[in-house]
Amino acid sequence: MAASVDLSRVTFIVMREMRGPLIALLTVYSVSILGMVFIPGIEVEGEIQYMSIFHAFYFMTYTATTTGFGEIPVEFSNAQRFWAIICLYVSVITWLFAIGTIIRLFQNPFLVRALSEWQFSRGVQRIDSPFVIVCGFGDTGSVLMRGLSDYGFPAVIIDSNEERIKALQLRNYKVATPSFCGDASVPKHLLEGGLRRSNCKAVIAITNSEEVNLKISALARLLNPDVGVITMSKVEIFEETLATLGGEVHIVDPFKTFAKVLAASMRNPGFYSFNNWLVRDKGASLERYITPPIGTWVVCGYGRMGYEVNRVLGKYGINTAVIDPHDSKEDEYIERYIVGRTTSKTLSQAGIENAVGILSGTDDDGHNLGILLNARYFNQDLFTIVRQNRHENEIAFKATTVDMIMQPTLVAARKILFLLIAPLLKTFFRYLLEDKPGRQEIMEGVIHALRQKVGNEEPHLVTIDFTRAKSKAVIQLLDEGKKVLLGELIRDPRGRDVPLDLVVFVIKSGEQEIVIPSNSYEIQENDQILFCGTGLAHRLFNATINSEYKLFYIQHGVYKPRSHLTKWIINKMNKDGEVTHH
Amino acid sequence: MNLEKVIFGFFVVLALTLNFGFFLGEMDNPAHHNVLELFAVIVVNLIATVLKFGDRSQIGAVLLATSLVADLELIAAATYWTFAVHITGTGLTPEIMSSIVSLTGGALLANVISAIILVSETLFNRL
Repeated sequence: MAASVDLSRVTFIVMREMRGPLIALLTVYSVSILGMVFIPGIEVEGEIQYMSIFHAFYFMTYTATTTGFGEIPVEFSNAQRFWAIICLYVSVITWLFAIGTIIRLFQNPFLVRALSEWQFSRGVQRIDSPFVIVCGFGDTGSVLMRGLSDYGFPAVIIDSNEERIKALQLRNYKVATPSFCGDASVPKHLLEGGLRRSNCKAVIAITNSEEVNLKISALARLLNPDVGVITMSKVEIFEETLATLGGEVHIVDPFKTFAKVLAASMRNPGFYSFNNWLVRDKGASLERYITPPIGTWVVCGYGRMGYEVNRVLGKYGINTAVIDPHDSKEDEYIERYIVGRTTSKTLSQAGIENAVGILSGTDDDGHNLGILLNARYFNQDLFTIVRQNRHENEIAFKATTVDMIMQPTLVAARKILFLLIAPLLKTFFRYLLEDKPGRQEIMEGVIHALRQKVGNEEPHLVTIDFTRAKSKAVIQLLDEGKKVLLGELIRDPRGRDVPLDLVVFVIKSGEQEIVIPSNSYEIQENDQILFCGTGLAHRLFNATINSEYKLFYIQHGVYKPRSHLTKWIINKMNKDGEVTHH
Repeated sequence: MNLEKVIFGFFVVLALTLNFGFFLGEMDNPAHHNVLELFAVIVVNLIATVLKFGDRSQIGAVLLATSLVADLELIAAATYWTFAVHITGTGLTPEIMSSIVSLTGGALLANVISAIILVSETLFNRL
């Protein structure tokens, strides 16, 4: 294993460096002791006293360490004193040399590096539950890590910036987060991060550099064909390369994700609020819908965001006017394209007075806020979407009354989080947003149910696998050939008449995905369920599926006896059952 | 000629011979076993051990192991000696002396193994 190699490297360095000082100490001690033993001491009762080796060693021990207990076992002769002076100076200097070597050794950057690598891979090996490797701990990485920590999902973090790693070590995450400062695109570091371990679920490449991300993704796929690869990419050519890697590859593009959400919320009024509420966005509420209006829009800044949003708006047949300092690309036709910086003049040219919405989507936060203020001056009732590029500008953006704030790092982090903890959510959303009759009503129904059950509490989006390890009691019943219905599991194990505060979204059984399953659904082994509920409901649900007694109560309404004695008494009293009534 | 090999071989053989010298003589007779010789054996053995630090080869690991065994037994013998003479004050009775000498006999065996490994490694390199 990589770890043992590193450990042997560390011990090798330490041993090699300490060889000199140790031999020096040994020599100085033995010569000093021999001297003390051979030098005649004072005369006691006519006999010259010699020091024994034991006493000489004792004397050297406290002399070399400058403790100085005095002359023992008897007073020294002058010859011994003379030798003691030499011993003291030489041995103290030798000790200083030895200690100096140790200190220098631990300041050696290579040793420090080898030690931290070793600690890192030991930390990785101690993780026994599924984990992910996060490469890059910037804004996206830290938001993602906070989410993973909330959901109890351990992560290994590799970042090349030492300060970010130090900042990470001060965070109070609830899960193990072994971190390492180094280049994640070096194969050795990925292997030390546990890439080949069986519980490594995914590698998440979210460094600042697209090229590094691509390299990490390719390496991860090469070194472990089964691992999931999630990466953030905003460049088309890289996306094409990534798509050919094979296996499970997710490319997260925050602008495309946002454009999709925007498109969905134009058709389904509740969707934007629902989505934001699920991701626990501050200030999001199921009570307040945000729907972008239909009419003329002004798109300021035709970068990646402007492009994606403009495309979505165009799909709905919405007229847009684009303002951007750069000329439009030749291969696409935009009706009103104003070349220039967004100022009050270009805004008027774009017809801001008659527009219904504005997108302020340049890559400069100060400029984006300026555009908003400018536009408001012309038109008070504008629907506003603004792009917030840097997390540190949060306060300024919250102070403006904007309808939608699009923070690419946040959007990407949440998308990745959901890919990891709630992979079935995609199925659920796809179903809700399908252009079929009745779907909007279903979504309204879900939102209504969530409003009642979760309300103002923090929503917990939970994925549970009905496997032997994670739902012991349910599988036990299935083994016995008994049925377990979904409708039973979602009752409160403390009193089964009350349903738990949760809404089941999807059940995946084999290849089949059932959206909003009915209560009569029979649970199969290896099913996967996605639900949203309160934290308490999550805990109670977990308790039910893992305790045969709770499950028995929920199914039969009576308690199952636990001890042998009770079982025996019940059998005596009530011949036909093993059941007590409460 | 490799100076490191010379020093290394010197200490391994010196440890072995000194050890043998101490071991030689009637087992339970303190007059046949000098305390200074024991001291020298221990010091030379410790130096030989430290010289083996940091050798990453398989042979180096085995040499370090045998050397550590010798150290352990010799230090045990010296500690026993110290206890008998200075702490419990029983002095070097024949029983105590023979157990001290048998401990160094064990160390001698470990040192013999060290020397055999050293010689065989050298021979292998010659072939």
